[in-house]
Amino acid sequence: MKKSIYIFSDGELHRKDNTLFFEGENGRKFIPVENTSEIMIFGEVSLNKRFLEFISQSEIILHFFNYYGYYVGSYYPREHLNSGYMILKQAEHYNDDNKRLYLAQKFIEGAYKNIRQVLKYYQNRDKDLEDIIYCIEKLGELINGTLSVNELMAIEGNIREYYYKSFDVILNNRDFEFDVRSKRPPKNSLNTLISFGNSLMYTTVLSEIYKTHLAPRIGYLHSTNFRRFSLNLDIAEIFKPIIIDRVIFSVVSKNMIKKDDFDDNAEGLILKERGKKIFIEEYVSKLTTTIKHRTIGNNVSYRRLIRLELYKLEKHLMEEQGYEPFLAQW
Amino acid sequence: MFIILVYDVNEKRVNKVLKTCRKYLNWVQNSVLEGDISDANLKKLKIELSHIINKKEDSVIFYLLRTTKYSKREIMGLEKGGENMFI
Repeated sequence: MKKSIYIFSDGELHRKDNTLFFEGENGRKFIPVENTSEIMIFGEVSLNKRFLEFISQSEIILHFFNYYGYYVGSYYPREHLNSGYMILKQAEHYNDDNKRLYLAQKFIEGAYKNIRQVLKYYQNRDKDLEDIIYCIEKLGELINGTLSVNELMAIEGNIREYYYKSFDVILNNRDFEFDVRSKRPPKNSLNTLISFGNSLMYTTVLSEIYKTHLAPRIGYLHSTNFRRFSLNLDIAEIFKPIIIDRVIFSVVSKNMIKKDDFDDNAEGLILKERGKKIFIEEYVSKLTTTIKHRTIGNNVSYRRLIRLELYKLEKHLMEEQGYEPFLAQW
Repeated sequence: MFIILVYDVNEKRVNKVLKTCRKYLNWVQNSVLEGDISDANLKKLKIELSHIINKKEDSVIFYLLRTTKYSKREIMGLEKGGENMFI
């Protein structure tokens, strides 16, 4: 499996000897091109066109994050899997309200069932979550009866509100209290972790979309607009609870990230470099963890699961097989 | 698959071999590289190397490990290179 590289130091990226070369304050290092799928850039890195050309040729995608750890954008190289057919199919399913609603409902259904699974896991570990699960299940029953994407989004918002309340019960840590969801900038440490994790998730899904025929600009739950990619946001909904939230629970409850890993400047809280690295390390090890896949019968990693999700979507769009979201069984 | 590659080639070709290997693997120390590699990429690497080396003079050894689960890496002295996902 090709790997992701995370650059925190400042320096220059070059093409050298037909491979990637990083020259920075802490030394110089070659990065194997053939074994790299994406590069996440957090530091101040300069690069030139020759490098971008080489990156495009090698089908490596660059994701940039600013000083605060927010996603800035990606260098999304020329698409190598060009399929006009797939774009038309995607647009067809977007323009037809019923077809679009069906897919949007499936994404929310996936997100809802995975959220429920995460909560059940903690309920079995003697956390008092019965009321929250009850409320979420009540809301979950409404998903299939919704008549518009906006109505669906409202239900999803309510589910998340209850869900985030459960974080306090699960973590039971005074340094990480949830309060309310706040973004741009996040106002407390838990919100900071959620935001940071979600932006990592979005970029991972985007990188996986790049390896398929799908056009990332056409999303179903998140409406398509002039500004940003939206299909990756849709697919990320399904995986956020089982990947990001579980990483958050483990870094907080194992005391890996502590209160002093956050810096409060610029009105909100940001994660310091040490915290970011610990979080990413947990996240990457989660992505590479393999599970036995029920239908394939083989061991697949979480990262692979994301790609399989996209293939299922392709099949649905081509009307070969109806799309069913991935549901965690544990 | 995880591999450890060691080479002993004539000085004239050292650079070429090193450059080729760096495309696929992480440099560890002089004449040693290691890293995860797919079956297809290993084949590509072997083909590329076979065009460079002189089979009568040079030698390249691949240690193939299906998984690193049962192995341990210990270092004495300096850590010169190796894999790191953070830079």
